[in-house]
Amino acid sequence: MNEQLHHQSRRHFLGNIKTGLMGVALSDLLLGDLSANTSTTTPGWIPGRGLCHHAPKAKRVLQIFCPGAASHMDLWEHKPALAKWHGKPLPGEEGLVSFQGKNGNLMKSPWAFQKHGQSGKAITSLLPHLGQHVDDIAFIHSMHSESNTHGPGCVFMNTGQPTEGFPSAGSWLSYALGSANENLPTYISIPDIRGEPPNGKANWSSGFLPAQHQAIVMNALQPIRNLKLPAGINPKQETASRDFLRLLNEDHIERNPGDSNLQARMAAYELAARMQLSAPEVSNLKSEPRSMHQLYGTEDPNQLKAAYAKNCLLARRFLERGVRYVNLYCASRASGVDGLLNWDAHKTLKSDYERHCPVLDQPTAALLTDLKQRGMLEDTLILWTTEFGRMPTHQIGTAGRDHNPDGFTCWMMGGGVKGGTSYGATDELGRRAEDKPTTVWDFYATVLHLLGYDHEKLTYYNNGLDRRLTGVEGKVIRGILA
Amino acid sequence: MIPRFSCSSILASLVLISHAAGKNGKLTFFESKIAPILEANCLECHNSNISKSDLSLTSLKEALAGGKEGAALIPSNPDESRLIQYITGPDPDMPKKKEALSKDEVELIRKWIASGALWPDTRVLREKPKADKSWWAYQKLSKEKPPSPANLPAAWNKNPIDRYIFAGLTEKKLQPNPPADRHALIRRVTYDLTGLPPTAKESEAFVIDASPNAYRKLIDRLLASPHYGERWGRHWLDVVRFGESIGFERNGIINNAWPFRDYVIKSFNDDKPFDRLTLEHLAGDVMGPNNPAVEVGTTFLVCGPFDNVGNQDPVQKAQIRANTIDEIIRATGEAFLASTIGCARCHDHKFDPILQEDYYSLYATFAGVKHAERVIAPAAAKKSLADKLKPLTEKKEKLSKEIPALEKLIMARAEKKAVAYDALYPRPATDRYGTEETFPPIRAKHLRFISEGLDTNPNARSGFRLDEFEVWTGGDQPRNLALASNGGQAEGKSRLAGGFEGAYDAKLTIDGKFGVPWISSSPELTLTFAKPEMIQRVLFSSDRLKQLAKHSTTTFVGEYRIETSIDGKIWTEVANSYKRKPATAAQREKRFLKLETSADERLRLKVISAELKKVKAELAALPDLPKWWVGQYAEPPEKSFHVFTGGSPQRKGATVLPTSPSTLSEVVPSYQLKNETPEKDRRLALAKWIISKDNPLTPRVLANRLWHYHFGTGLVDTPSDFGYMGTKPSHPELLDWLANRIHQNDWRLKNVHRDILLSQTYQQSATYRADAAKIDSDSRLLWRFPPRRLSAEEIRDTLLVVSGKLDRKMGGPGFRLYQYLVDNVSTYVPLDKHGPETWRRSVYHQNARAAFVDLLTEFDCPDNALATPRRSSTTTPLQALTLMNHSFTVEMAGFFAERLQQKSALTDESAPVVLESQINEAFALAYGRPPKPKEKKAAAALIAQHGLTAFCRALLNSNELIYLN
Repeated sequence: MNEQLHHQSRRHFLGNIKTGLMGVALSDLLLGDLSANTSTTTPGWIPGRGLCHHAPKAKRVLQIFCPGAASHMDLWEHKPALAKWHGKPLPGEEGLVSFQGKNGNLMKSPWAFQKHGQSGKAITSLLPHLGQHVDDIAFIHSMHSESNTHGPGCVFMNTGQPTEGFPSAGSWLSYALGSANENLPTYISIPDIRGEPPNGKANWSSGFLPAQHQAIVMNALQPIRNLKLPAGINPKQETASRDFLRLLNEDHIERNPGDSNLQARMAAYELAARMQLSAPEVSNLKSEPRSMHQLYGTEDPNQLKAAYAKNCLLARRFLERGVRYVNLYCASRASGVDGLLNWDAHKTLKSDYERHCPVLDQPTAALLTDLKQRGMLEDTLILWTTEFGRMPTHQIGTAGRDHNPDGFTCWMMGGGVKGGTSYGATDELGRRAEDKPTTVWDFYATVLHLLGYDHEKLTYYNNGLDRRLTGVEGKVIRGILA
Repeated sequence: MIPRFSCSSILASLVLISHAAGKNGKLTFFESKIAPILEANCLECHNSNISKSDLSLTSLKEALAGGKEGAALIPSNPDESRLIQYITGPDPDMPKKKEALSKDEVELIRKWIASGALWPDTRVLREKPKADKSWWAYQKLSKEKPPSPANLPAAWNKNPIDRYIFAGLTEKKLQPNPPADRHALIRRVTYDLTGLPPTAKESEAFVIDASPNAYRKLIDRLLASPHYGERWGRHWLDVVRFGESIGFERNGIINNAWPFRDYVIKSFNDDKPFDRLTLEHLAGDVMGPNNPAVEVGTTFLVCGPFDNVGNQDPVQKAQIRANTIDEIIRATGEAFLASTIGCARCHDHKFDPILQEDYYSLYATFAGVKHAERVIAPAAAKKSLADKLKPLTEKKEKLSKEIPALEKLIMARAEKKAVAYDALYPRPATDRYGTEETFPPIRAKHLRFISEGLDTNPNARSGFRLDEFEVWTGGDQPRNLALASNGGQAEGKSRLAGGFEGAYDAKLTIDGKFGVPWISSSPELTLTFAKPEMIQRVLFSSDRLKQLAKHSTTTFVGEYRIETSIDGKIWTEVANSYKRKPATAAQREKRFLKLETSADERLRLKVISAELKKVKAELAALPDLPKWWVGQYAEPPEKSFHVFTGGSPQRKGATVLPTSPSTLSEVVPSYQLKNETPEKDRRLALAKWIISKDNPLTPRVLANRLWHYHFGTGLVDTPSDFGYMGTKPSHPELLDWLANRIHQNDWRLKNVHRDILLSQTYQQSATYRADAAKIDSDSRLLWRFPPRRLSAEEIRDTLLVVSGKLDRKMGGPGFRLYQYLVDNVSTYVPLDKHGPETWRRSVYHQNARAAFVDLLTEFDCPDNALATPRRSSTTTPLQALTLMNHSFTVEMAGFFAERLQQKSALTDESAPVVLESQINEAFALAYGRPPKPKEKKAAAALIAQHGLTAFCRALLNSNELIYLN
């Protein structure tokens, strides 16, 4: 729809204010002043209208985030040389000082790697369920980051900037596309029950984009805030108060014509009311058949796994109903014990990952299977991310690995992605991205490309620059495109 | 040519050369023809900061050294020169992101190479920014008289502001609105100056005040109100990105930054000259040493986010330090100069005339800043405390030495008996991988494990970890009764887990799994079994999987005892560690001392300990001097400063000195300091340069901020960016007129507010006119007063005012609308219930970063991860959910209802009369106007059916309450 049409629909809405708010795309009213948002770099393109720069391969995104720096060489990128050189110093970097201090000798992965599928891709034997999906996955083994610290690293992986205050990828998509279901939020973040990821809410912030693009936060244990009617207010009273409120607002609008914000606010109240009806329905997992619960593992005796499984199921239900971007976390922040609440295996890699992998494996695999069964893999882009990798060496005095920003693995799957692909690589010991080094900006240039956007043209002015999700760099990773 | 360089002291030598070049035809050819082509087409990628394909074309030396593929050019041989090969052909490879060079340009380059590629050694090319020093913002303030547009109405001829605005409107054939009605005007200006609504009484008084200076009196009253500073101080806190937590991963809360917030509020209330404020912000410690009211200003430098996670990697550590200083440079450049100096960190500014050297000059200026707290007190108070501390500290030190001295003597004796003493401890020391005790079978329902010392520190009893504690029966098939799956229960205090309770719980000792330990915060673990049974063995550990050598992750016990009980009242000791070998030398010493100390010595030690305790108590009783988050300042470790090539501290480029930014060198006298100049003098010099009477940028930026907050949009609508990427002023002459007014008022702002508020422009109505909107939809030209939604703080404060609950207490530590949890990192959990201690003005909310707070964050109140020179004003369903359903609104609606009831309780009127008066009162409180018949009728119906609270809740959610005309 062009701008003029849009204005017409507004006038149409104004004309009908007395007859109620039906029949109008309510969320359109929340877009604010279009002239302010209209892109300077892409004439004719208007944000928030469901418009793309080119035909998209994917319409929605599921981003699974394993915070704490999930080890590439222990999960996804098999390094046989590590076993061979186990116990030997890391050539050229003996006694290297990294994030937590001095490193010892090379340490092989405690687990065997197992080949799967037609592609024969080997991943850790700790993730047998996920192994079943390797033929649909494009692994990017040559990621590297700007930061070796979890907080900035996570924020960088989510926003393309290692400092707080910038919009996350989900917010960018919300800004670019707008809503697909008026009754639900556009962007949802589902933190783990163990807490928020490093740097907390900055990971799903809308930064300098308008606040409607921030993620709505919820998980299987924590409903959307303020969604429920307050205690002591019954539905009848609610309706009566809202009716009276509408009368006040309509009268006020009549006295103050020409201010679209006033209509927008009325629309926001209508949308909120719809969300109050829709969101509980979506989060009601009881309506899922038993077989689904079994597939995901929502009743597993391992409470962390059961909770994450519920979050996975929730993610699917939201994606199915038109939520554009779901950010799903498996694990949380740094705690009093390294590697306890997240993938930060500084000291006890073996016991840490033998706890974390079973939480991640079955539920995530079930989610992928489920999306595939429903035909949603076609136009859903699935991202698996973490903030950086880990060292091939062990930390002095421990059986764990320190932070390694120079090489790690992320993967993509679904809409427009070539499955069964392994793109790029770290060196034979896993220390550094060596073959086709890939940045977070490349990663998101690709994501935006698949979503129908030229990442260089999706911009928003803030303090001195037309800002992008991809900073000032980023190249589409052609090698993983279907 | 190249006037851009002529003023940079760093590049002064180049200027001489380029001038000298004028005498030499060939050099002029390079300078006039070749350099511009290279700068415009090649340097974006091929410079020393980026050097794509390792090639930089900034100097002849680099061009000859070449990149990955070899030399870029071969003098006198254009055909063999890669440069020519790359820029020629049907589809030339270069320039990559730009149009191909024209035939003429290629020919010029070919000719230049053919004639020997003359390029002076010292001539370094730089990509030119889009705007140079002739950019509007860098020009001297205009002293021109206000215009006299035709058809100027008399009322618009009194205030120069109106003449500028009217002239702008006339140009577009627009007319301004008539004046707003008094009711709208008092509401507008009261919110504008105080952030609060006028009371019904104030409104009424103003509406009926017939005196000609009624409006002026109103403005004077509001400018004198202490609430003025709360409102305008809050604006400034946005600009200087004031936040009260550290940000980044740890994001620890800062509990002593609030004095700065109070200082800002007071500065506005006192109408402190802005030049003075600037000096205090950048160098308060220099301006007023030992004067808390002045020293507090430097909180400005350290109230941004910074990374304190403690990275050990030296490269990352250097980068983090650079990031920390970068944050200060950006904040300073944007707040005072609306200059995005930060964009010159990795390369010269792409848009504005800001050199990379300018950035690193500021780096040198701020290199002595450390984010930290400092004792802030008058000199006398510091001295008085030091005088009291001195004798006590000396005494404490003396006593502290006596104990180890005596113990050393005792130990010397004990060591002589070491063989005998050591023999007293035949059993193996405690073992983290598994420590076992067997004892004669005993019937028990409870077992408690009591730590008497850690294996790392015999004097600490808690903080140890246990990954499992097993209690076994005897017999052929022994069972672990403690195991949760066998009905066992475990109790023991744990370290707080910051939001994920259970992370370190005592239950982890009986879950049958190793690897995740209980972290104790008290010495005792109590186990209870399903029923009393005979037990005879326990086994416990902190690292059963043997994953770690001695490591703090598996801290264990060194001394303990174990007791059992049937009823939980009478306890029997079944095992202890007293015959185990000591876990540490310290434990061994502790035991030896116990064995060897004579009665006399024991008495002596007791006396000393008692005295020591007393001294410590006296020390603790001395009142602490306050510590504030104002930063610490010391000479930086660097002896000289460099450009960081590409922004990387690992790539040191040219040296720089603390120098004034070259951007304004045409209008403001420059300064250049030395490497030896003390860091405080560097900051002071910069502050003085910023407020120099010749600096046009500072008053312009300030004037624009005033305008921005009064009208919702600045004359420049990018208030912290006056550069090329910002927007140009809608009324440049008016901006300069206001800037001059700031100078004329010696940087005091209240008179400038008066100028603006007394204008007809400000006083006109907000009435919408379709014809005018067609020409100027958002009223940038001000044909009407632009209506606005209230800010987050105004909305929350208004709810408190209307419900009669606003606590107007000013200053002091802030309140929190979140729960603050710490466990290595911080978590901020928004509160569902806001107690009366939070019913203060929102400016006193402790504004932690990444702590999303319903009401505030949702209505666009920033957490200042970045500075917020201009807030958004969004409308979202989430706001509706919060305002309808959060317990705060519901509670305030209840108080609002109570307030209405209380008032009518005093009358003995009939019910319908009471109801009507309640409705009238409610409309007066919320909107300052009487209800219309339709509204009255609907309200009465609602109240009759669902009560006053339902009615009040609707009012608190209404548009009229939170929109201003």
